[in-house]
Amino acid sequence: MPSYKLTYFDVRGLAEPSRLLFHLAGVPFEDNRIVFGDGTWEKMKDSTPFGQMPVLNVDGFEIPQSMAIARFLAKKFGFAGKTPEEQAWVDAIVDQFKDFFGQFRQLIIAQRAGKSADEIEKIISEVVNPARETYFKALNKILEKNKSGFLVGDGITFADLVIAENLLSLKNFGFFDAAKEPKLAALKEKVFNQPSLKEYLASRKESQI
Amino acid sequence: MKYRTAHERIIFNRLLQLYLHYRSAMIQYKLIYFDVRGLGEVSRQLFHLAGCEFEDVKIPRNDEQAWLELKKSTPFGQLPILKILDAESQNEIEIPQSSAIGRYLANQFGYAGKTPEEKAMVDAVIDQFKDFLVSQKRLTLAVRTKKSEEEINRVKEDIVTPAKDTYFKILKKLLENNSSGFLVGNDITWADLQISDNLTTLDGLGIFVPSEEPILAKFHEKIMNTPSLKTYFEQRPASLL
Repeated sequence: MPSYKLTYFDVRGLAEPSRLLFHLAGVPFEDNRIVFGDGTWEKMKDSTPFGQMPVLNVDGFEIPQSMAIARFLAKKFGFAGKTPEEQAWVDAIVDQFKDFFGQFRQLIIAQRAGKSADEIEKIISEVVNPARETYFKALNKILEKNKSGFLVGDGITFADLVIAENLLSLKNFGFFDAAKEPKLAALKEKVFNQPSLKEYLASRKESQI
Repeated sequence: MKYRTAHERIIFNRLLQLYLHYRSAMIQYKLIYFDVRGLGEVSRQLFHLAGCEFEDVKIPRNDEQAWLELKKSTPFGQLPILKILDAESQNEIEIPQSSAIGRYLANQFGYAGKTPEEKAMVDAVIDQFKDFLVSQKRLTLAVRTKKSEEEINRVKEDIVTPAKDTYFKILKKLLENNSSGFLVGNDITWADLQISDNLTTLDGLGIFVPSEEPILAKFHEKIMNTPSLKTYFEQRPASLL
């Protein structure tokens, strides 16, 4: 078995779907968490392939970009979709999340930069809410059509993991209300109740994002 | 699949062509996108690279009505869409999202990377391009909505240039470390097609200056001179984006 090391900040963020994949598959890995703000990241940045995290090290070969990592692991462990067409749909849903997250990120950046309440309200109403509406609409359309309760096919894929984790983050930020979005809430519950994830989820460190 | 010789590669390509020709009697592809290069172009190029027939449906960018009509029927309200029709069963599958389509076709035709690790690196390059695109879009939006020259220059300097510097640094590091001249592995992949097409766009926007970036200029020229794409490149209509 190859030796795996996943390096990321000490939050859920963009690495959590990959962490979940290891636990789902029962494959051991080194969960290398970098504490934010103590200079460690700044020192190691230039030695990473793209100057960013997460990075997956597989027997010395380094892979950057969170979703490239997640797809690589999902394919190895059998959670990427059963056919080429299913795999394409899993990818499309993950891209839809990334498009939304690109917009949502503007809010996080504004909050961290200490923008005024007015500016933040403007970003919420002009950027985040419309983006969220498009994103939720796309997800609901898919869930309405798929009887299994998962996003693609009959079993869990990394698209389900990515979306469930994002819904948890949106809930933390006050942008996901389970009562208003029953289908999405059901997906989130379905993912977080997977037997092979329960032990990890019970003990994992919480983070807003 | 590792090719021991160029001869093997030629044989594989010929067999792939025959297979795709046979299959096109059974599977029909339709790519629907706007009449620009944009996010549809990499998929068009994959079809041409593989010598696989497809219906290249182009929706005029300025025909609001045509787009709004079509939009409702698309899975995510966006283009491009790939439609795959099984001629025998008349079963049709739709795939949305440009990178999902690109990866699907690249895998079908053998241009996704040769190993799981190469495929992951190809995916990472595509994701890096998509990250950069967020900044590029700010510029193209300013140009399209006819902002002042001052505002356009501000977007170029404050937003696009820093993003471009990060993006180009990553691309150059990959090219410097790969003697094949391609971004990943020993052969062309859809990452090469996408990045090269983006360089064409950036050249037109004045963001990529070939004389200032010899490594990227050499790469761009290499991809633009790909034998099975040359005719396509010569014949396709010019577009800024």
